[in-house]
Amino acid sequence: MLCLLVAATLSVAATTTDLRDLVHAVGGDRVTVESLTDPRHDPHAREIHPRQLALLSRAALVVRIGLDHEPWLPRALRAAGTTPRDVDASRAVAVLDPETPRLRADRRPHVHAFGNTHYWLDPENARPITALIAEALGALAPGDRATFAANRERFLRDLQAGLTRWRAALRPYAGTRVVAAHDTWPYFARRFDLSVLATIEEQPGVPPSPRYLGALMERMKQSGVVAILAEPAAPAALLARVAAGSGARVVTLVPSVGAEPEATDYLALFDVNVRRLTTALAR
Amino acid sequence: MMLDLLLLPFLACLVLAGIHAYLGLHVLARGVIFVDLALAQVAALGMTVALLAGHAPDSDAASAWALAFTLVGALVLALTRRTPGAHEGEGDGAGVTVPQEAIIGIVYAVAAALTVLVLDRVAQGGEQIKQLLVGSILAVTPGDVGRLATLYALIGVIHWLCRRPLLALSFGGEVRGARAWDFLFYLTFGLVVTSSVRIAGVLLVFSYLIVPAVIGAWLAPTIAGRLVLGWTIGLVISAVSLAVSFAADLPTGATIVAAFGALLAAVGIVRGVWALGGRVRREGRRALAGLAVGTGLGVTVAGLALAAFPHADHVWLDALERAFPAIQAPFLTAVERRVAADARESIARGTRELSRLRALAADAQWGRRDLPPEQRERLRQFVVGRDELVTGDALVLKTLAGHARERQRLVLGLPLAGAGLVLLVAALRAGRVLARR
Repeated sequence: MLCLLVAATLSVAATTTDLRDLVHAVGGDRVTVESLTDPRHDPHAREIHPRQLALLSRAALVVRIGLDHEPWLPRALRAAGTTPRDVDASRAVAVLDPETPRLRADRRPHVHAFGNTHYWLDPENARPITALIAEALGALAPGDRATFAANRERFLRDLQAGLTRWRAALRPYAGTRVVAAHDTWPYFARRFDLSVLATIEEQPGVPPSPRYLGALMERMKQSGVVAILAEPAAPAALLARVAAGSGARVVTLVPSVGAEPEATDYLALFDVNVRRLTTALAR
Repeated sequence: MMLDLLLLPFLACLVLAGIHAYLGLHVLARGVIFVDLALAQVAALGMTVALLAGHAPDSDAASAWALAFTLVGALVLALTRRTPGAHEGEGDGAGVTVPQEAIIGIVYAVAAALTVLVLDRVAQGGEQIKQLLVGSILAVTPGDVGRLATLYALIGVIHWLCRRPLLALSFGGEVRGARAWDFLFYLTFGLVVTSSVRIAGVLLVFSYLIVPAVIGAWLAPTIAGRLVLGWTIGLVISAVSLAVSFAADLPTGATIVAAFGALLAAVGIVRGVWALGGRVRREGRRALAGLAVGTGLGVTVAGLALAAFPHADHVWLDALERAFPAIQAPFLTAVERRVAADARESIARGTRELSRLRALAADAQWGRRDLPPEQRERLRQFVVGRDELVTGDALVLKTLAGHARERQRLVLGLPLAGAGLVLLVAALRAGRVLARR
């Protein structure tokens, strides 16, 4: 009996906790889904763990961010020796900053060669992504299509309620000028009408030059920038220096589900971030 | 503006130079070059274990953990000091003394691996640990500089009071209770390195430690002379590279390290030329045989490479052609020369316009100029387009250079290889004559 139950659920591997939550929202109890990565680790460079290979080898479906967010995934799939069905969530959304850096004359640093990958931070993007997930799940388990559709409807209702809530909370701060530690927040900022004027570390891990930093702090003062959006992993000493030199406040936002304990699921992620932002901007 | 931003980093650099130039003399004399990396990694491991125990990375508890681990690391290094000749030549002659550098390497590798293992359990704050080893000299606060200066002054006083045994241990002398003095040395050294690394990062601390000591050992005969020279070097390099990093828009820490490297290379080359001059005076022109062999070999390889792979990157030829376009001109047809001139002019024009447009875009972005969103988007697309045009012109120049290379491969490459070969053979012969005498 237990065997039958286990066999009846679809095994899915998501590359991030955010996608894991979206798969769970659609699949409900018909799927078992796990994230291949820990959101508290550096998202750009990662070794392959044995756990990931075990997960991949039993997964019928892999859901990934796509673009160049998971350079390790092809290697992991080869090592696991499987070719599960593949969902590239980036195909469902409009990607920002897609200019290819190879065509640039001045070769400025550009971490994401095929466009900014942090598109899950726009809650509206959850609609097309879950549609893509529902389609893939339905193809693997045609009998459960109706369940998937109903689950998705329920999730979208909650999402809509959340969007209304978040928009209302941030409406007083529409057009607020902010600076970001890294290039993580363009989708979030666009959705909630914040204006990200610059990033402090254009290339994570490469400290900015003193001239860039000086000009940045000067401009921040002149333009009345009030907040610095940072991830939990952003360089704290550098941010404190910029904050002291510009009069702006550092707001630590959570970039992924589970990156901080409060962000328990996809909707809670935005609840936390909106609350932190409004608290900081209200002061 | 520049002073505001760079005064504190400069003071921090001076504090670093003060203690590290001195400790570097010890480290170099003891031959334990990588001991600072090992101790810094051990301290980072202590910090990581503190995270596992549930402390925040910037808490006092975390500092205490780091200190405790540094203490243990210092103890390990004091106990594994190489006792000269203890095992050498015993029994069947198979006895080997293990140099302390081996133990230091092992301590570093194991501490780094353990940090990875522990971080896998407690990811929270893992990035902070990584930053601990990278540091950010631009972000120092007055408090940081004050704390460092106090601590290092204190350690300086301890080293002054205990100078006799400590100097004797490092520079080869008999000392009673060597292990205890060694422990004191590594403990104070560990304290200095772990606090410096926090502010400035591993690379910077390593440079401040070793480079002045090496140059001092080259140029000054006495310990006091080396110390004064080390301090001077630290002061000058800090001031110059901070100014350069501001003027040329470069990351500060990496600039300082590169400046140390450049100074070391310059001093090395001057010393080499000096020594060569001395040999030439003593032995006549034949002393130059080695240099001629090297030059001949280099020229031969460059010429053969140009003949065999004309489309590879010939950096020396690129640089020459950039400096003297006349070198390339004879290898281009009249039409190609005109195209190249057009492309160069177009690049210059495009670059000027790009910088103007970028300034405009920046003004709009920072709100100093009102541009409606759709105009801003048009501006962005225009900049991207212009950018690609400039890149395209650069590509034209590259293609033309490729045509020129195709013609240079035989006319320039083969004679060059021949000339190099002649020089090589002549130099080798001269060297052999010299050796026979």
